[in-house]
Amino acid sequence: MIPPSVRTRGPLKVALVEDQPKVRESWTRLINSFSDLSCICACATGEEAVRIIPQKLPDVILMDIFLPRMSGIECTARLKVLLPNVQIVILTAMDDQELVFMALEAGADGYLLKRTKPSELRTALLDVLGGGAPMTSQIARRVIESFRQKAKTLGESVHLSVREEQILAHLSQGYSNKQIASKLELSIDTVCSHLKHVYEKLHVSSRTEAAVRYIASKTPP
Amino acid sequence: MARQAGREEIAPEAESSNSATNGLGCWIWAARTFDRQTCLLWRSFDIPASTTVAQAWLTMTADNEYNLFLDGRNVGRGAEWRHLGRYDLTQLMSPGKHVLAVEAYNVDAEAGMLLGLQVNLADGRVLHIKSDTSWRIVPKEVRGWQTMTKAPDSWPAATVIGPIGTRPWWTTPEGIEINPALQLIKIPFWQAGWFQIILLTLCATAILISFYLMSQLTFHQKERWLLQQERARIARDIHDDIVSRMTQLVLHGEVARNDLPADSETRLQLDLFCEEARGLLATLDEVLWAVNPRRDTLRDFASYVTDYAQKSLKHTSIQCVLDVDLEMSVEAIDLPLRRNLLMAIKETLNNALKYSEATELLLQIQRQNQGLAVVVQDNGRGFDPATPTPGRNGLTNMTQRMAELGGHCRVISQPGQGCRIEFWVPLNRSRRHLWGRMWRSKQFSTNVIETKNPAAKSLTI
Repeated sequence: MIPPSVRTRGPLKVALVEDQPKVRESWTRLINSFSDLSCICACATGEEAVRIIPQKLPDVILMDIFLPRMSGIECTARLKVLLPNVQIVILTAMDDQELVFMALEAGADGYLLKRTKPSELRTALLDVLGGGAPMTSQIARRVIESFRQKAKTLGESVHLSVREEQILAHLSQGYSNKQIASKLELSIDTVCSHLKHVYEKLHVSSRTEAAVRYIASKTPP
Repeated sequence: MARQAGREEIAPEAESSNSATNGLGCWIWAARTFDRQTCLLWRSFDIPASTTVAQAWLTMTADNEYNLFLDGRNVGRGAEWRHLGRYDLTQLMSPGKHVLAVEAYNVDAEAGMLLGLQVNLADGRVLHIKSDTSWRIVPKEVRGWQTMTKAPDSWPAATVIGPIGTRPWWTTPEGIEINPALQLIKIPFWQAGWFQIILLTLCATAILISFYLMSQLTFHQKERWLLQQERARIARDIHDDIVSRMTQLVLHGEVARNDLPADSETRLQLDLFCEEARGLLATLDEVLWAVNPRRDTLRDFASYVTDYAQKSLKHTSIQCVLDVDLEMSVEAIDLPLRRNLLMAIKETLNNALKYSEATELLLQIQRQNQGLAVVVQDNGRGFDPATPTPGRNGLTNMTQRMAELGGHCRVISQPGQGCRIEFWVPLNRSRRHLWGRMWRSKQFSTNVIETKNPAAKSLTI
């Protein structure tokens, strides 16, 4: 599961952005309790994160979605511009696919419910790093819709490939990656890498400075 | 025949001479004559009520100009004293009081007005009205003098200048101008007073009703807005005060658990504690979903329902297949609607889980006929909807619930043939009523505005 490149570098470097001190502390301890994860930096605000995290070069950033002033979504968009190769995972207390989709559109690579079991947290983080960010059928549907809308209104140059759209369509019908792989006669890894490309394409349009400003204007302080 | 002023001569038809000057009176004018003088002459007369008018001819002239009014209507004019003007007033004469008014103008020197009106009644009598002292002079132009049926005492009688033939005027007119018969003015109904009054009344009523509705609308909108605000506030409170803190609790619990040795009793108990709290948080997710007005959209509803179905079928042998309209919009679906629909779907899923023994379940959510159609279909063992099955009594509930929402629920199943349950609810329930539609469209537009930019609100939960 863990890509060799990561494994050879020792524990995964995790950065955390969370405004509540006690929660921040607990998360840090929880992350550090796994031998292959290490919390190298914990920020209290989005502003601090944008200032500090780029110097720390983490492998993955855990981002609380609700932050005072600069929201987690805006912070994600800004960090993605600065660190396009760093994976960002959104933390949310509520299971709200609409919010999650906004975060994914802004550049997040995955999301986790804050109440996720620690063991699952670890797996999820490793999944994201391995490029196999899971995608729910609800998100898949929103992704298809979003690309269609962009193609219609903006004439966006980024399109989904036929295969990618096929996989998304199956996902939106509720099939798992494994089922899709067998239906389309692909390996699971191929399905995952297609999904990774979908995420990347989703982020492309968010990576420009203009998009960051757009997202910033959309999100209240 | 000396008669009282204002009384007309009614005589049995005498010699009906065709001579143009027959029936004319004398030249009359105001007591004083001067240059550039306007002289207003007035006379009223009665046509007996018992009869109708067979013919009415008026002949007149004036030195220098005149305007003739009958009952306020300008029926003739002339500017040549050498000629006589003849007017057929038959159509305008009806039993009752009438008013003749002449506005005469003298350019200079001598001035006079000469007139004769002959009204032949259907019973053979003839009414003669001539220019004589029975006419009154209107001293100063009064508004509406042409229609005044009674002359004030301050109006003096006209002065007779002389009979026909008086110098400088003629004995025989040089010409007679016969004017076409005057017709009653047919007032189109939309110009008629009664119609305009009714129209005005209707307009006023419509305006009043609109004002009333608008105020109602504003009131309802405000009420609705307040309700949404309140819901948003509750959602925020639940999130900030309960969900956040409980999440912290779980987190602290996990940290505490990690600090304990693997075989510790307390560690197991902490595990249970955290698990319980997670379950509670999942329940709160549902409460928040119901309360939060931001999530009153079709798209969110579809998202939530499919997510729910997938989660409840996740660890079963039933494969959940989804079919959701991609174009699920941000159109609003009201709280009672989405809550009831969710409850019905939950019930159906539960039934399928418990009784169907299916391997596949299709959940279809589609926009259909101004409403939302949800289909839950399984390939299980089915049942006969006619025979009540213990445990499946939820079906009656569902049908009733859908009916209350103005929709319907249909169960199609046969033993061994799987089961298909179709729900349909209208999204614009009051569209049938006009007022409802007005009210709805407003409501809808607010929703559009509110949901147009979901991002703007999203981070306020």
